[in-house]
Amino acid sequence: MTEPSTDVLLRAERVTKTYQMGSVEVDALRAVDFEVRRGEFVAIMGPSGSGKSTLLHLLGGLDQPSEGEITLAGQPLSQLTDDEITTVRRRKVGFIFQFYNLLPTLSAQENIALPLVIDGENVGLHTARLNTLIDLVGLTDRGDHRPDQLSGGQQQRVAIARAFINQPEIVLADEPTGNLDSRTGTAILELLQRTCREMQATILMVTHDARAASYADRVVFLKDGQVVHHLGENGKGNSVEAIMDVMAGLEL
Amino acid sequence: MLFNRPFLAPFAFALRNMRQRMGRTLLTGLGIALGVAVVLSIEITNVSTLDTINTVFNLAAGEANLLVSTDNLLAGMGETLPEELVDRMAAFEEVELATPTLRVNTLLASEASEWELEIGFTGAAAGTILQLYGVDVVRDPELRVYKFTAGRLPSPDAYEAVLPADYAAEKDLALGDDLVLLVPGSGVARLEVVGLLASEGVALFNNGVVAVAPLSVVQELFNHRGEIDEVGLKIVPAIASDPDALDALKDRLEERVGRNARVIYPAARGQLVSRMLASFQAGLQLFSGIAIFVGTFLIYNTFSMTVVERTREIGMMRAIGMNRWHVLGLVMVEASILAVAGSAVGLVFGVVQARALMLVTGAFLAAGDAVITVTPQALLQSLFVGIVITLGAALFPAYQATRISPLEALRARAQTGEKVRPAVWVTGLVMLALGLANIYVIPYRASVYFNILQGSVLLILAGATLTVPLVVKALEGAARPWVRRLYGGEGALGSANVQRSVGRTTLTVAAMIVALAMIVGIGSISISFEDDFTSWINASLGGDLYVTSPVKLRQSFLGQLATVEGVEAATPARFHIVQVAARSLPPETADDDDTVYFVAIEPETYRQVSSVEFTSNQGDPEANWQALAGGDAVFLSSQLAETYNLNQGDTIWLKTRRGEKPFRVAGVIVDFFAQGQTITGTYRDLGAYFSEDGADRITVKVAEGYTIDEVSQRIKDRYGEQRNLNVQTTTSFKAQIQGLLDQSLALFDVLSLIGVVIGSLGVVNTLTMNVIERRREIGGLRSLGMTRNQIVRMVLAEAFSLGLMGALYGLGFGFVLAQVMIQSMNSMSGYDLEFVFSPTPFLVGLALAAGISQLAALAPARRGAALNIVEAIKHE
Ligand SMILES: Nc1ncnc2c1ncn2[C@@H]1O[C@H](COP(=O)(O)OP(=O)(O)O)[C@@H](O)[C@H]1O
Ligand SMILES: [Mg+2]
Repeated sequence: MTEPSTDVLLRAERVTKTYQMGSVEVDALRAVDFEVRRGEFVAIMGPSGSGKSTLLHLLGGLDQPSEGEITLAGQPLSQLTDDEITTVRRRKVGFIFQFYNLLPTLSAQENIALPLVIDGENVGLHTARLNTLIDLVGLTDRGDHRPDQLSGGQQQRVAIARAFINQPEIVLADEPTGNLDSRTGTAILELLQRTCREMQATILMVTHDARAASYADRVVFLKDGQVVHHLGENGKGNSVEAIMDVMAGLEL
Repeated sequence: MLFNRPFLAPFAFALRNMRQRMGRTLLTGLGIALGVAVVLSIEITNVSTLDTINTVFNLAAGEANLLVSTDNLLAGMGETLPEELVDRMAAFEEVELATPTLRVNTLLASEASEWELEIGFTGAAAGTILQLYGVDVVRDPELRVYKFTAGRLPSPDAYEAVLPADYAAEKDLALGDDLVLLVPGSGVARLEVVGLLASEGVALFNNGVVAVAPLSVVQELFNHRGEIDEVGLKIVPAIASDPDALDALKDRLEERVGRNARVIYPAARGQLVSRMLASFQAGLQLFSGIAIFVGTFLIYNTFSMTVVERTREIGMMRAIGMNRWHVLGLVMVEASILAVAGSAVGLVFGVVQARALMLVTGAFLAAGDAVITVTPQALLQSLFVGIVITLGAALFPAYQATRISPLEALRARAQTGEKVRPAVWVTGLVMLALGLANIYVIPYRASVYFNILQGSVLLILAGATLTVPLVVKALEGAARPWVRRLYGGEGALGSANVQRSVGRTTLTVAAMIVALAMIVGIGSISISFEDDFTSWINASLGGDLYVTSPVKLRQSFLGQLATVEGVEAATPARFHIVQVAARSLPPETADDDDTVYFVAIEPETYRQVSSVEFTSNQGDPEANWQALAGGDAVFLSSQLAETYNLNQGDTIWLKTRRGEKPFRVAGVIVDFFAQGQTITGTYRDLGAYFSEDGADRITVKVAEGYTIDEVSQRIKDRYGEQRNLNVQTTTSFKAQIQGLLDQSLALFDVLSLIGVVIGSLGVVNTLTMNVIERRREIGGLRSLGMTRNQIVRMVLAEAFSLGLMGALYGLGFGFVLAQVMIQSMNSMSGYDLEFVFSPTPFLVGLALAAGISQLAALAPARRGAALNIVEAIKHE
C-alpha cells in the first residue's frame, strides 16, 4: 500500500446545503468539515438520507453549497464560473454512478473515450491509454459492445474506465456497487482499489454497504447532514465488523 | 381530491398529466389549432369568394325573382334592350312588377384626368368608375332598397340624382350641389343632388361609387334613347316560392323577350366570375388537405412521445390493476380534451386567417371589400375535422399504451430498441412507386386526372415517409462527418442520436418534407407561372400606348387617332360577352350558361402593333392569321380549348343574334386575360353576328423618331378632354398587371409560411421530447464535464442532421409536387403552364431547412443546457 501524501486535494469547510421544500427548509448538510488527501481511498458512509450523495455532488461541483467553501486541487469552487467548474470537472474529476449512466448509442470503447471527445481531444492520439484502461477493467474483447449487450457489472467496469480516462486527480463514486450482486460488487471494489493504486488516483466513494467501505483506507460517517464519526485515521484499512458497529450505532 | 368523484378521475388524471407537460400540451394544442385554422380559413375563403360574387350581383338584382337581360352578363360592357320590353313583361299576370334599369359607366368630371384603367383578373373594371343607374324612380323602390339619410328620390324626368351619403361626403357634395359627370361625345352633364343614401341596398352597388337618376335622363345623356339593359321582375309569391313553377314561367317569359334578350335568375351572373376562380380555389383545397395530413402527423407524434415517456407509469398502473381499456381511456381522454380545446382555438385563428386570405382574393375579384361569410356549417365541419383527426391520430399510440406490460414498471430503464419491420418500408416503396406511376406514367382521363393527382401527392408523401426508417442510418452516417466539422465531437454525438428513435426521426423528417415541399413546390409554381405570364405579357400586350375611356370609344375615332403625328399604327379591341352553344360543350358540363369573352380585334392592324402567342403544334402562324381574317373563325385560348376539348381546325358554336353559328378554330393561343375565358375573333364577325362595334381599348404603336411620352401627350392634348381619354403607356400597364400577379403570388408566400411553421413545430416537438427523455443522460454528460455550450451544440447538431434528411427528402418531393401542382392547374384550368426548373426555390428550401432546424432546436437545446445536473441524474 502506498503511503498517502499529506497534501490536501479536496477540502470542504463548514459546508451547508439547504433545500427549500415548499415552505419547509430541509438541511441536507450542516456545516460539514471534511478533507481528502492525495492518493487516499476514502469512503463516506451513513444511513439513507443522511446527505452522502448531496456531499458528493457538492464536492464534484455538480451543485453549489448554500454556505461554506469547497476547494478542489487548490481552487475554491465558489470563485469559479459554471463553465470553469465544468472544466475542472472534466479534467480533474471522474464520476461513477450507481446506474452507470452510459450512453446507450455508444460502444463500450466509445463510452470510455467520451470524456476525451468532450475535451476536444483527438481520440486517436490516446489509443494506448484507452487500451490500457480497457485491459485493466477486463473488457478487452467487449470494447465494441453497446451497453445493452453488457451485464450490470460490465457496464460499471466501463463507467470506471471512463472515470479514469482523463487521468483525473480524484474519482467520485456514488454507490458504485449499489445495483450489483455481491460477487460482482466485490470484483468492482477490487478493481477500484487496484486502479487507485496503479494510477495513483484518489478515490472518494459513497456507500451504505459496510463491506464496500472496508476497501477504503478511511471511512467518514454522516448522519442527518453532519460528520459524526471517523474510522482509520491512521490510514489503515478497517474491518467490516468495526464499520458495522459504528453503523449500528448510527441507525438506532 | 382526485378520487372523490370517480367518474371524473380520468379527466383529472389527464389534466394533471397535461399540466405537468405544459410545453408539449401547448405545442400540440397549437398544432391542432393551426391545422383547424387552415381548414376553416380555406373553407371560409372559398365560400366567401362565391358569396362576394353573388352579393355583388344579387344586390344589383334587388328583390327581383327574374331578370330580363341581354347576353351581356357583366355591367357596362354591352348591348341594350328596347324599353318596350318592360310593358311586355308587365302584361303577364304572374308578374307583379317590371322595372327597367339602364346602367352606364362614367366619371366625375373632376376626376377624369386621374383616371387609370384598372383591371382585375376577372376582367371587370373596378375602383373609381362611377356607375350611373337610370331607373324608373317611381317603381324601382319597390324592388331595391333606398334608405335616405337626407332628401328624396329624383322626380321623373328631372335632371336630378341621388348618391350614397358616404360617397357624397368624400367628394364634398351636399344636397343642392351639382353632380358633374362625363358624357359621351363632348362635355359634361350636371345633375342636382336631391337625396343622400345610407349604406344599404342601392348605396352598396359598385362599392358605393354609384348614382341613381331618372331613366329618361340617363337615356338622353348617354345616347340610349328607348334603350335599357335590364328589366327586374317581381313575381307573385305563389309562383316565386315554387321553383318548378318559376322555372316554367321563366321559359314562357323567355319566348316573349325576343332574340337578343334572355330571362335569367339573378344568381346566374356570378357564374362567369366563379368559374374564373375555380382553379384558384382548387389550389387552396389542396393545401387544406396537406394541412390535415400534417396535423395528423404532429398529433400522432406527440401522443407517441407521451406514451413512451409514461411507459413506467402506465406499467405501474397496470401492475396495480388497471386493465387495458382503462389505459386506452386514459390516453384518449387526454386526446379529447386537446382536440376540443385546440379545435376551438383553431376556429378563432381560422376566421382571422380567412380575413387575410380574403384580402388577396379581394384583389382577384376587383370587388373591393369582400364579405367574410362564416357559416355554421364551415365552423362545425372544421371542428369535426379537428376532433376526428386528433382522436384518430391518438388512437394508435393509445393502443400501443395498452400493450405495455406491468413488467415495464419494474425495469430500471425502459430501453426499448425500435426495430422497423420490413413491411413498413416495403409498403412505403410500393406507395411511392404507385404515386409516381400515377403522375408520370399512367395516362388518365382529364376528368379524373385532377383527383388522381391530388391522391397521388398524398400517396407519395406517405410512401416517402415510410421509407425514411430504411435510410436513416445511411443518411446519418453520411451527414456525421459534416456535422463533426461544424459542431465538433459533441456534434457527432448529437448527430448519432438521430438514429436512436427512428420513429420519431421519421415523423420529424415527414414534417420537414411537407414544409420544404410546400416551399419548393410553391416557389417553383410561382416561377413557372411568372415565366409564362411574362412571356404572354410581352407577346400579347404589344404596342406602346393604350388608349381607353370609361365610355365606349367610337370606331370613327380610330381613324382620327391614326392621323396624330407620331402614331404609326393603332388597333382597337372590344370585349364582348357571348354564350357558347350547348352543342359545343362537353356532355358533363352541359349547363346552358357558358359565358365567355369574345375579344374582337382587327387582324391587320393588330399585327402591326402586337402579336399573339400560339401554343405548340399550331402550324404556320401566317396561315392561322389568314384563317382568322377570313371570317367565321376564332382563336381559342388554351384554357377554353381544354375545357371544350377543341383543337385547331375544329368548330365552336356560339349563340349570336342570328342564332347559333359555327366558328372555325383557327388556332389555340396563350391568353391570361379574364383567366383565359376568351375567344378572339374579328371585328367583322362582331358586327355581323353581334351587331356590336366600338372599342374598349385602342393600342397604339409609336413611329420611329418619336418618344412615347411625346405622342401620349399629343393624343391627350388633342382628344383627352373632349373624349375623356386615358392614355397609358404599355410599360406602366404591364407593371400594373405584374403588380396584380405579385399580389396573388403573395398568397402563396403566406402558404409557404405555414409550411415553415409546420416544419418548425415538428423539429421543436421532437427535440423537446428528446431532451426531456434524455435528462439523465444529459446530466451524466454534464457530470463528465460537458459545458452548457457543448450541450447546446449537441442538440443543434442533432437538429442539423434531422434538417439535412428532411431537406434531402423534402427537396425531392417538392420537385415532384411542383410538377403535380402545375399539371393539376393545367388540367383544371386549361392553362398550358410549363414546369420551369429554377434552382432558387431549392436553395431557399435548403437554407430554410437549415434555418428551421437550428432555430427550432434553440429552445430545446437551451432547455437541455439549463438542466440541473443533480436533479437530472437523480431522475429515474
Ligand atoms: N432536490 C432536493 N430537494 C429537497 N430535498 C432534497 C433534495 N435532494 C436531497 N434532499 C434531501 O436531503 C437529504 C439528503 O439526501 P441525499 O444526499 O440524497 O441522501 P443519501 O444519499 O445519503 O441517501 C434527504 O433528506 C433528502 O430528502
Ligand atoms: Mg444517495
